[in-house]
Amino acid sequence: MTQVPDDHQPRDGGRDAAERASLAEAWRTPTGWRYVSAVNNSHVGKWYILAAFGFFTFAGLLALLIRTQLAVPENDLLSMELYNQVFTLHGTAMMFLFAVPIFEAVAILILPEMLGSRDLPFPRLSAFGFWCFVIGGVFVCGSIFWNAAPSGGWFMYPPLSSDPEQTGIGTDIWLLGLSFIEVASIAAAIELIVGVLKCRPPGMRLNLMPLYCWYVLVVAGMILFAFPPLIAGDLLLEMERAFGWAFFDADRGGDPLLWQHLFWIFGHPEVYIIFLPSIALIATILPAMTRSPVVGHSWVILSAIGVAFLSFGLWVHHMFTTGLPNISLGFFSAASEAVAIPTGIQIFCFIATLLVGRASLNAPMLFAGGALAIFVFGGLTGVMVAIVPFDFQAHDSYFVVAHLHYTLIGGMLFPIFAGVYYWYPFATGHMLSERLGRWAFWLMFAGFNIAFLPMHWTGVLGMPRRVWTYAADMGWNELNLVSSAGAYILAAGFVVFAFDVLRPKGRTPTAPADPWKAATLEWAREGPGSPWGIRSVPEITTRYPLWQQPGLKDEILRGAWYLSDAKDGRREMMVTDILDARPMFVQRIPGPGFVTIFAAGFLGAAFIFATYHWWLAAAAALAAFVATVLYWLWTGTGGIPQTPRRDCGRGLELPLYASGAGSAGWWAMFITMIGDTTAFVGLVFAYAFFWTVHGSFPPPGTTPPDPLPASGGALLIAAAWALMMAARGLNAAGRRGAGAALLLVPVAAVAGAAALAFAAFRAGLDPTRHAFDATIWVLILWICAHVAAGILMPLYCLARFRAGHMDATHDAELRNSVLFWTFLLVQTGVTWALIALAPLIPSGAS
Amino acid sequence: MTYPRLIDDGSVWIVVIPPVIWAAHFLTCYWVAAVWCASGAAPLTPVVWAIAAITVAALGGIGWAAVVAVRRYGGLRRPGRHVSRDEPEGRKAFLGHVALLLASLNGVAVLFTALPVLVFRQC
Repeated sequence: MTQVPDDHQPRDGGRDAAERASLAEAWRTPTGWRYVSAVNNSHVGKWYILAAFGFFTFAGLLALLIRTQLAVPENDLLSMELYNQVFTLHGTAMMFLFAVPIFEAVAILILPEMLGSRDLPFPRLSAFGFWCFVIGGVFVCGSIFWNAAPSGGWFMYPPLSSDPEQTGIGTDIWLLGLSFIEVASIAAAIELIVGVLKCRPPGMRLNLMPLYCWYVLVVAGMILFAFPPLIAGDLLLEMERAFGWAFFDADRGGDPLLWQHLFWIFGHPEVYIIFLPSIALIATILPAMTRSPVVGHSWVILSAIGVAFLSFGLWVHHMFTTGLPNISLGFFSAASEAVAIPTGIQIFCFIATLLVGRASLNAPMLFAGGALAIFVFGGLTGVMVAIVPFDFQAHDSYFVVAHLHYTLIGGMLFPIFAGVYYWYPFATGHMLSERLGRWAFWLMFAGFNIAFLPMHWTGVLGMPRRVWTYAADMGWNELNLVSSAGAYILAAGFVVFAFDVLRPKGRTPTAPADPWKAATLEWAREGPGSPWGIRSVPEITTRYPLWQQPGLKDEILRGAWYLSDAKDGRREMMVTDILDARPMFVQRIPGPGFVTIFAAGFLGAAFIFATYHWWLAAAAALAAFVATVLYWLWTGTGGIPQTPRRDCGRGLELPLYASGAGSAGWWAMFITMIGDTTAFVGLVFAYAFFWTVHGSFPPPGTTPPDPLPASGGALLIAAAWALMMAARGLNAAGRRGAGAALLLVPVAAVAGAAALAFAAFRAGLDPTRHAFDATIWVLILWICAHVAAGILMPLYCLARFRAGHMDATHDAELRNSVLFWTFLLVQTGVTWALIALAPLIPSGAS
Repeated sequence: MTYPRLIDDGSVWIVVIPPVIWAAHFLTCYWVAAVWCASGAAPLTPVVWAIAAITVAALGGIGWAAVVAVRRYGGLRRPGRHVSRDEPEGRKAFLGHVALLLASLNGVAVLFTALPVLVFRQC
């Protein structure tokens, strides 16, 4: 612990020592090899950041290979096939293994402390996500050492990628490996949304919430709507590759453009999913450095929310040259121009903050300033390529390569570096070297511009992206050589940075607890040596609490606020309400455990075995995963507390249990099912897409699914939902019959799923024959998979009742299960409408 | 203790409505044009009128949301006076302010989306 002035000292030394001892006991970090079982956000966050930077380094080395290959014309340093693997893996790893995970990693590390919370609401879920990320990332990246890496480009367009002859196992590795990693992303998104909504300190109303939290909320919400369409697309493409289902094969009524739609409905928002959290770091660093609140707080939030929505209306601007009607291109061009408005607003707010305050030009500010300069340049070329006729010329050329690197490196990478310099003392207790920071910045800033500025010209001169090599007389030689030299200078800057971060700092002096005199709560934590984070949970009445609430920091550190100890040796955090952050209850959260590693390992094994089409092994691994998760839930969640309430200090007494819409678990289920439903909507989109482009959908001669069993099946699933509702009601009323209702749910649900499948089977639908058949079958498959998950829930609840872990008032598991079933009911209804009603409507094209 | 309800006490819905109207308008424009053009009918006149109609409806909806937002904000005469105050009124005014800004942005975005129909007469 760092030395603190006298004001921090507790009034009652004995009580303070006892409280600290109880906190240390509850939050003890496992030692030795058991360290990997830690789940505390301060450990998982650091691992996550280090792993993401590990993948960044790997992808950066691939980039250097690309630039070395392109440095001179007619080069054969890399074979053509290896080059394809290198650029595909470079893009894939940078986007999926660095840019998105680093957002989650940073948020897991700093968000709880910024909210004055001891941890995130589901620490084991964070750890599970981290292990999924590492396993999936190593699997995808490692493939290149067996010459088996994906080689179809990072957006993996069919028909190239849907043909196993053209693209081998690499595409399967890409599809299944990344789907697995997306599980981790969505897990983190759920965690972060619930964290921001429910785990704020008392009094931190929505209008007092720091900008960083707004960005986290917005971006996690975007992940929830952007990633699932790609998961749906991955599912369709893998079904086509593995089983010959017809989704993208034009000969069988499929359409390769469907993939482009699904990919870019994910892919364009993803750019903003990457950009916004990094801008959020700048929005947090700027006020600390300028000693002044951000100018236009509401305007910055407008900008975040506005960008989040508008970014979903841009996806077709990646498809301007695919032959869509001009009027359609016009809509997307307009939206692409419109998104520049909110993006510009936040940049102007930052510039105004710089003008109002008095900024010191240290390493974090250098990187933040460099970020804004580079990003604005990339944003302006973005406005250029948003104009359709210009895009026709620049499409798939190095101009686009230059543009996207300006936006991503300016909008994402440089702010991350600024953040590392800023929060390094927060995470480690040491400062990074200011001198090395300047070297790193100027090398990277200069190297970046030397590498990427010339690419605008290379592109305009006609060099297409992704070419393996080029002829000497194309006029691209000097520009490419300069770009390659710049890439090495950029890499040198990163080496300086990495050295500074990783070098042992035993002899460097300990940093002050709050080196920047910042206003956000994470600087009132106790230091990296105290895994419980904040000493006591304060009440917040201002936007910049450490500036505007004099003495607050001393009170926090004295343990004068809420939850200053750990009762019963349990890890605890306060849950508050969404609008005004009034205390609701105290949630007890689980400690270290290997169960998360096992769960991630089994799920990873299921995906990896599926890649090689070892179906039995994959099914066994999936079953082991389900069993592990059940064990995890049984031992780590829910349960009736020994005492109903807890004294939190200062006369505040709170319940220790909550169920239904007030609880964190209910919200996690709600958010999970929103994401799940978005993936389902991706499948519905596929149906609507085929309906629009086909003269007749179903095609002439195809019998649509039999409406009678289809309707019966939907009704049976609805009955299963009604039984769940009845069980909840009977249990809450303390009446008999809840157990019987729970037992009947699986019967009704399985019969319903079987009837749906029978409807398609009886009509003779063959998914390998036509896109109509394949789409119907994939919808039914989706419902069946959900029924399979859904029948475990009532059985689990029944077992919990029997074991005495649930009763009439402690029914969180049952309420969460009912919520799942409500979403399943809606999805079943839509599926029923699509298979039983929609084939009757005449379709779009003539 | 009773907590403010998210839907009626909170102004959260008023924040979300303008962007949702933009999204609905955008997707409808795209879908109407896509279906019309896929059916091989080249002149866009009916599409232009359809889009004009939904644009007016969308702007009406956003305008209504803006009026509610201004009320939550506490009028336009002394803007920004209590959006960071530590009371439910401050939170309400703040969300009203954000909603008002979002309504303006999405109004502009809806107009942007409608612009192409002034230019194109054919698919």
